[in-house]
This record gives sequence, C-alpha cells and structure tokens, in this order.
Amino acid sequence: MALPAALPTLLPPPKLALRGIAKRFGATPVLDGLDFEIAEGDFVSIIGPSGCGKTTIFNIIAGLLEPDAGTLLYEGAPVDGLRGRVGYMMQKDLLLPWRTVLGNVVLGLEVRGMAPREARDKAMDYLATYGLAGFENSYPRALSGGMRQRVALIRTLIVDPDILLLDEPFSALDYQTRLYLEGVLMEAVERFHKTVVLVTHDIDEAVALSRKVVVLSHRPTRVKALHDIEIAERSPIGARSDPHFSGYFHALCSELDIQTKRVQP
Amino acid sequence: MKRAAPLDTAFGRAAIQLTLVILLLAGWEGGVRAGWIQAFLVGSPVGIWGELVRDVSNGSLFYDTGITLYESIVGFVVGTFAGSLIGLGLWYSRFVARTVEPMIVAFNSVPKIAFAPIIILWFGTGLTSKIALAISLTAIVALIAAYQAAKEADPDLQSLLVTLGADKDQVFRKVIVPSALPGIIATFRINVGFGLVGAVVGEFISSQHGLGHLVFTASSLYDLNTVWLGLFTLMAIGFGLYFIIDLVERKSLPWKLDSVRQDLRV
Ligand SMILES: Nc1ncnc2c1ncn2[C@@H]1O[C@H](COP(=O)(O)OP(=O)(O)OP(=O)(O)O)[C@@H](O)[C@H]1O
Ligand SMILES: [Mg+2]
Repeated sequence: MALPAALPTLLPPPKLALRGIAKRFGATPVLDGLDFEIAEGDFVSIIGPSGCGKTTIFNIIAGLLEPDAGTLLYEGAPVDGLRGRVGYMMQKDLLLPWRTVLGNVVLGLEVRGMAPREARDKAMDYLATYGLAGFENSYPRALSGGMRQRVALIRTLIVDPDILLLDEPFSALDYQTRLYLEGVLMEAVERFHKTVVLVTHDIDEAVALSRKVVVLSHRPTRVKALHDIEIAERSPIGARSDPHFSGYFHALCSELDIQTKRVQP
Repeated sequence: MKRAAPLDTAFGRAAIQLTLVILLLAGWEGGVRAGWIQAFLVGSPVGIWGELVRDVSNGSLFYDTGITLYESIVGFVVGTFAGSLIGLGLWYSRFVARTVEPMIVAFNSVPKIAFAPIIILWFGTGLTSKIALAISLTAIVALIAAYQAAKEADPDLQSLLVTLGADKDQVFRKVIVPSALPGIIATFRINVGFGLVGAVVGEFISSQHGLGHLVFTASSLYDLNTVWLGLFTLMAIGFGLYFIIDLVERKSLPWKLDSVRQDLRV
C-alpha cells in the first residue's frame, strides 16, 4: 500500500513492521519477502500451512534468527530483533523441569535482576490471579498439560513485555481447557493493553481472538491476504456465537484452500 | 494384579542374601578342613577372622583403611569437581572445545593406570602421588561427561532464556548447569570406584601404608588370609561409598523423583 508521502509523518509509526523479510535454510527458501504491520494494542493472528515458516517469523522477531534480507521496524526504527523486549511463548511449554512452578514464573524477573523477595511476591500474586495458588512448589512434571501452559503464559506475562508472540500456545489442549485459557489470555490482554501476535492452526481461534488475520501462502512464503475481523464481542465464546463469525471462518478456510465441501469422486 | 513372591520383601531378601553368604563361607571353611581346598593358596574364613581380630585390636586395620579412604575420597572429590568444571566450561567456547576434543579423546584412550609409574616419580611415594593418580582417573571421566551433558542441553530452553534477555552467563547458570547436573552426578558412581582404583594401584607400586600396601605385601608373602582381609575391607568401603553417592543423587535431584513415582511392571 503506497501512502501519500506526507501522510506517514502524521500517523504514529506501527508498533512493529516487517519489510521484505526473507529467510532460507540451506537450499530451501522459506520466507520470500514478507510485509505486514502490527499496530500498538493490536491482536494479530498468523495462519498458514504447516511448515510455511510461522515459527521462523517469530524467531526472527524475537532476535533468535537473522533474516537474509529485509528489515524489522520497531516503532519506526530499524532493529535487529527484539531480544528481551518480547514475551515469546513457544510451541512447547518449555518449563524448566528442575524448577518449581514458582521458580519457572520468576525466571524472566530473575534475568532482569529483580530482587528475589520482590520477584517472589509478584509471582505469588500472578499465580493467585490465574488460579495456581497452592501449586507454587510443584515441579512441572506433576502438572497437567493445561496447568503447564498456564504457567508458561504467566511466565510470559509477568515480565510485562511490549509485544506477546504466542506460537500455537493452546494447540495441544482439549477444547474446554483451550476456551478457558483463551479467556484468560484475552482478559490479560485487555487489562494490560498488550500487543499480541498469535500463530495458530485453528481458524476458529484466529477469528474469535484477533482483530486482524494474516494469511500466509505455501513455501516460499508470502502474505496471501490480510483480513480485518470486526466482531464486537471479545470473549472467546461470545465471539464464536457472533453472527459475523461464520462468514469470516469460511472466508479464511477458502483462503487456505481447505476443502469444506465433500470432493466428488 | 500379580501376587509377589512371599520372600520378595526387604526382610525376605536380606535373609536370603545372608544365608547365601553363610553357606559360601561354611563350604569354604569345611573344604579347607576336609583337605579339599589348600589353605595355603586360598586362605580360610576362620584364618581371615583371626587376622581381622588381630589387625583391629592393634589398630593397624583402621589406620590402613583411613589412609586409603583419605586418598581415594580426596582424589574423587578434587578430580570430579575439577573435571566437571572444565567440562562445563568448554560449553563457553565452541572453538576451544572443538580444538581440545581430540586431545581429550587421545588422553582418555590411554589406560590411565599406565601413568602410575611417572606419577609416583613426580609426586613421590607419599599420599600425594596416590591422590594425584585418583585425580587423573576421575577428572577425565567427569570432564567428558560434563562436556557431553552441557552440549546436550535443550537448545529451545536456551532460546527461551535469550528471548527473556539473558546473557551468556545467565544461560550457563540457569540452563546449562542444571540440565547437565544429572549427567554429572551419574559419573559419581563410576568415579567413586576409580578413586579407589587410583589409591590402591598407587599403593601397590610404592607405599608404607594403606589397604593396597596391605594386600600387596601380604600376597608376596603368601599370607592369603591378610590378602582377603584387605579385599573385604575394600569391598566394604566401596559399598559404603556407593550408598552415600546414591543418597546424594536422590537428595540433589528432587525434581527427578518427586511426585508420582510409578511402579511400572513390564
Ligand atoms: N533451523 C532450521 N534448519 C533448517 N531448516 C529449518 C530450520 N528451522 C525451520 N526449518 C524449515 O523451515 C520451514 C519452516 O519451519 P517453521 O518451523 O517456521 O514452520 P511453521 O510454519 O512454524 O510450521 P508448523 O505450523 O508445523 O509449526 C520448515 O520446512 C522447516 O523444515
Ligand atoms: Mg511452528
């Protein structure tokens, strides 16, 4: 989208912008020049076929990988990556098995050098808010999948990052737990006015949670479509019963070439 | 549910073990008395008991045991600690690690016992040379295990720390060391044995005291009862150390055992 030259100076720059980001692994081109923007306080979902490079995009934004080409603009200024400024919740819960729930939750605070006493108090507050009081001394292996994911979410939220990068955070959970955690996430996002980027396989989840959906193509990956989702209701269950919901859902399904009708023999 | 054998309890097993040992000793003693076994070449349980009483009452057994224990424990602790530290430290520099790796492998492929004569030359015939030998045996085992364990630390956990803003030292302390710890602790069991090997072999070569000295001099005099006394004492030491290590292992890795301990029957 080419804006008139005078306009950009009047608008605040987007929180984060990807400009022509490209990445290949060996001979395989994975990202083939990606462009999209994320506004302050936005909730953006990224959907795309498996292996198209969604995790790779997050690794680049988080500063774990360098792109081969393209730039990353943070509030208008080019950056190498957002190490220490993003809350990155990876595809696996990645709890440290040798630390208790409390130890895992304070990890980020510890890295930032917060005093242990203060970190502990803050963590206990968060654990109580998210229904994990009483589990602070349990080791991760004693927790259910949903509880582990909740701990990982708290660990991500507690450091108060500018941007949340959530890589299929709930995909391994049953539907009930997932709805519950989506609610927890939405509540936290609204309360702390977070900017969120969510990778998901679940179109249903993308429509219910986000204001904007980025659809990616097969490898070599480009942005195939951008959709603004206008659903007033923000709760995970409420959004799913909104009259516009199924319209968005089917539009995105066809965008991803998912067959929703039976194939004729 | 399968019903367990009635003797498969702590008490039942101990009773069976004790019976077996008593039968063995009785058969041995009986064989010697009946003339089927030559006491001259294998000794006899009653003779060993006599040696035990004598060496305990004159205190020499405690002294020799103390010396050997001291050498092997100091050797084990220093060797394992230093080796683990260096092995973990190699994580810091891939370049250094890759450069020294073949040298470590080469050094490790020499039977370390072959170094015993020069170590005695360098460190003298006192306790120091036995400790040095024990260190050389244990340090290399710990080094290799620690380096391997550090290399195998989950890269995703390291990435997680990096995204939280951690620097290299923080990744080392919060991910590498804890995830290498089980691997390092697993070497304790092997190294406790190697510590004893170092001490005893050192004493074989040249010494005035210690269980190795006791066994070596007694066997050159065909005093088989004393040889057995030394061997059984070494066995008891090894056994005791093993239990201590087992306890350390369980206490230091609560996250591995804690909570659900499954009784899986295959
Ligand atoms: N470190 C790497 N080395 C080589 N190839 C890689 C590496 N990381 C990713 N790839 C390849 O890049 C492609 C994109 O991987 P990525 O993990 O980003 O996909 P994804 O969209 O997150 O997939 P999924 O939806 O299954 O999680 C895949 O084909 C993968 O094999
Ligand atoms: Mg992925």
